[in-house]
Amino acid sequence: MDLSSLPLSRSGPTARWNSIKLALRQGTLVPLLASAIAGAAIISPVLVVLWRSFTTGRLGFTVGLNLTNYLRVFGDRDILPMLGNSIFYAAGAAALGTGLGAMLAWIVARTNTPGKALVELMPLYPILMPPIMKNIAWILLLAPRSGILNGILQQFFGVETLVFNAFTMAGMIWVFGLACVPLGYLFLLPVFLSFDPSLEESAYIAGSKPVSTMLKITFPLAVPALLSAFVLNFLRGLRSFETPVLQGTPGNINVFVSRVYDSMALEFNTGLATAYSVVLVLLSVATLYFYVRATRFSERYATITGKGYRVKVIDIGPWKYLTFLAVFLYFLAGIVLPFVVLIVVSMIPYYDYETFMNFPANAVLNNYYTVMKHPSFVTGLYNSLVLSVTIALVTVLAGIVMAFTIYRTRSYGTKLFEFIGTLPLAFPPLVLSVGLVIIFIGTPIYNSLWALGLGLFVAYFPYAFRNASGSIVNIHKELDEAAWVHGARWRHVFFKITLPILKPSVGGALFYIFIEAIRNVDVAVLLTSPGMEYGPVTLFEYFRVGQWAEAAAGGVIYLIILIVAVSIAKFAFKMKFSL
Amino acid sequence: MAIVKVENLTKLYKEVKALDHVSFEFEQGILSFLGPSGCGKTTLLRSIAGLEAPDGGAISIADEVQTSVEQGIFVPPYSRKIGFVFQNYALWPHMSVYHNVAFGLRLRKMPEAEIKRKVASTLELVGLQGKAERFPSQLSGGQQQRVALARSLALEPRLILLDEPLSNLDAKLREEMRVELKKLIKKVGISALYVTHDQDEAFSISDAVIVMDSGKVLQYASPDEIYNHPAHPFVASFVGHSTLVDGQVVGVENGHCRVVVPEFGGATLIFPASRQPTPGVPCKVVIRTGEIRLSPEKFPEGTDNVLEGLMTSREFRGGLTDHRVQVGSKEIVVTSHKLCPMIRVGGDGAKTFLAIDKSAISVIVAQ
Repeated sequence: MDLSSLPLSRSGPTARWNSIKLALRQGTLVPLLASAIAGAAIISPVLVVLWRSFTTGRLGFTVGLNLTNYLRVFGDRDILPMLGNSIFYAAGAAALGTGLGAMLAWIVARTNTPGKALVELMPLYPILMPPIMKNIAWILLLAPRSGILNGILQQFFGVETLVFNAFTMAGMIWVFGLACVPLGYLFLLPVFLSFDPSLEESAYIAGSKPVSTMLKITFPLAVPALLSAFVLNFLRGLRSFETPVLQGTPGNINVFVSRVYDSMALEFNTGLATAYSVVLVLLSVATLYFYVRATRFSERYATITGKGYRVKVIDIGPWKYLTFLAVFLYFLAGIVLPFVVLIVVSMIPYYDYETFMNFPANAVLNNYYTVMKHPSFVTGLYNSLVLSVTIALVTVLAGIVMAFTIYRTRSYGTKLFEFIGTLPLAFPPLVLSVGLVIIFIGTPIYNSLWALGLGLFVAYFPYAFRNASGSIVNIHKELDEAAWVHGARWRHVFFKITLPILKPSVGGALFYIFIEAIRNVDVAVLLTSPGMEYGPVTLFEYFRVGQWAEAAAGGVIYLIILIVAVSIAKFAFKMKFSL
Repeated sequence: MAIVKVENLTKLYKEVKALDHVSFEFEQGILSFLGPSGCGKTTLLRSIAGLEAPDGGAISIADEVQTSVEQGIFVPPYSRKIGFVFQNYALWPHMSVYHNVAFGLRLRKMPEAEIKRKVASTLELVGLQGKAERFPSQLSGGQQQRVALARSLALEPRLILLDEPLSNLDAKLREEMRVELKKLIKKVGISALYVTHDQDEAFSISDAVIVMDSGKVLQYASPDEIYNHPAHPFVASFVGHSTLVDGQVVGVENGHCRVVVPEFGGATLIFPASRQPTPGVPCKVVIRTGEIRLSPEKFPEGTDNVLEGLMTSREFRGGLTDHRVQVGSKEIVVTSHKLCPMIRVGGDGAKTFLAIDKSAISVIVAQ
């Protein structure tokens, strides 16, 4: 009984004409048009990237279709090491983050670790800290010569070798791996919490001891969720920007994202940048394919039902102090340590190890004054606030309209919309912005916030769209049909039925996109220009030119704004916190 | 004037014919669509409402064409001036009872004071006065049902469509609501189309019944006619409480028909013939199980339709008892009321005589 399955397949001009007429009569032209516009905005940077990768020449000029860029990309001696680096970095960070997240989820869900209320939330706080700030803080901690940890080792323990180095593969995996923990935790927690206890009980009855039950029953059943989280974190690793550029490039460890960035920012060779992008996109598509496979595979493990089980908490004896310590250590490494480092660095006159260790004797607020007087930071902050609020609203609304068109109207091309709406997931944000730079350079739009806004819209659209689709599918179709037969047209159905019922999930998506957009670097970095700064990019630039203390001060201001926004959302809108 | 007229309505889902050239015309009153799940009755109702686009045929409501594939006409559901009660009520969870009922009135730009009056009077009609501020989740199933009804009735539609409206209620409440629903519809004086898979519901509530299977109309008649003279073997078996056997018409005289049933060891049955079958044609004989007498002794000479069989088992059902009797090669079920004298028949394996009442037999001649 599907309204959208109109006689497309049954050919014959009369039937076709009639169904077009039906679509018009249903008044679905407006949502269809809106979806088409959103779809065009999404697909154009994608197509431009593809097309550009097959052409050579300077911007504005095109020299025929050829394979020069690909020949250069694949002819590069470094292509194989770079591929190796990309995969090793993404897989390493995903393994570290997912494993750690799974362990935390198990500790929280299944053990009698003390201080549950606190332990439950600890793994989530690090989400709040923008990635760029984590990178800055960990570079300050782990830098080989000037880093805090090496300094401490030398000063107090007399260790002369430089133990820590942020600019190595290990340093990159450590910093990005920590950022992968919350996702692993959020994926695995529901699995451990809603586990059917009878599966374990039957193992006990069969004579299995708790430890072997854990190893043979509990963990194997969590494998699908573990796999999903791993693949998703792997994808995030492939697309991540800050860590490769800030830590990899100085240490001469190149991955695809940093090569794309260098081709654009240093050489300004769009052909080369797009060719690298296409390789990166292919990698992402392959990963997404595995993700789909992994989630499909997990359906076979449908032991996790919707029934409200109360899982049995296992008494792990004195080990519970160890598990508490583990959670607490993660909390320290995930947010407390980087945050403390940033606050201290933001309040000393300049950064070096001795000045850092002198704190708080030399505390000043100079950096805050400098930053707040600096036009690039003030406009950047203002722009990022305005733009992320606007983009959150526009993206979420467009996502709902497209989902409504696909699932609730008799429209053509719904499969195509679904494809386009999900497409940006395969495109690292940096690649999307490469496409937008090519489209807009030379036009007045390039030097405006419009290009950046469009980039953020495209990058975050899949989240808004998938969120809206998931919720709309869950609303009984008969609620719409009841409105149709009682006199409602599409706009009445959309604004009076769909939108109000969607309110809770709309709130969550708005908030998520706001948080993500306000700290975005990888879309914005290529689309900002003097006078059109974007806050997080400004911090990124400060750090790259060595103004570490100012970068830290700006970061602290950002974090305060984020915490205020979260608190407002939590208390004013009574919003539940989830990814 | 026919309130509903359907001509050659056809609807395909991939290769399956959900509706297969359905045609009928209905003057007024309550019409039920009866059939098993998947027979197309809901698709038919939804097509009449404009929620489905058929692949062929036409639908008129009150002599106005609403859907016509051939003429390229499709009146959208919001312009059909009908009411629709969904199986799961489909009340909007974010609106109070008042706003649910006022929804359609608001869309008609009715003044607020008038809306208020209309909602109040409709809620009173369905017996929900004082519940206007409640939300659907705070109401019982029966009350939600009434809100769904009120939401449609408030708009004073030309026709109200009900899609298995009672199937989500428990058995006791369902019977109460059935009576009340009929009273209410008659009181408002509106015509209704009623989809159900429950024959008792269809018989008690409607003026006419359409029995459907595999997207086809098998019989369109009054409840009485469908029960007593099913026109199709499927109708007979679906309407229930009957045994079907193959037979052959041997003669028609004085308005009576005689058939031979090989499965009963070649016994001849005689009964009043409502239709006039030609002698010699094969047919299906429908015997209703509640109108058969049982006896351990022979019936007096001259009793019609006497058969002889062996009692195989009995199922006690409270007020009724089902007796399974082997007659020839066929086992037939005889249902007896506990006040009937024939309850004192022998136990399992006992020789038993059956006398089938003339009115319990009807015949379906294969086309």
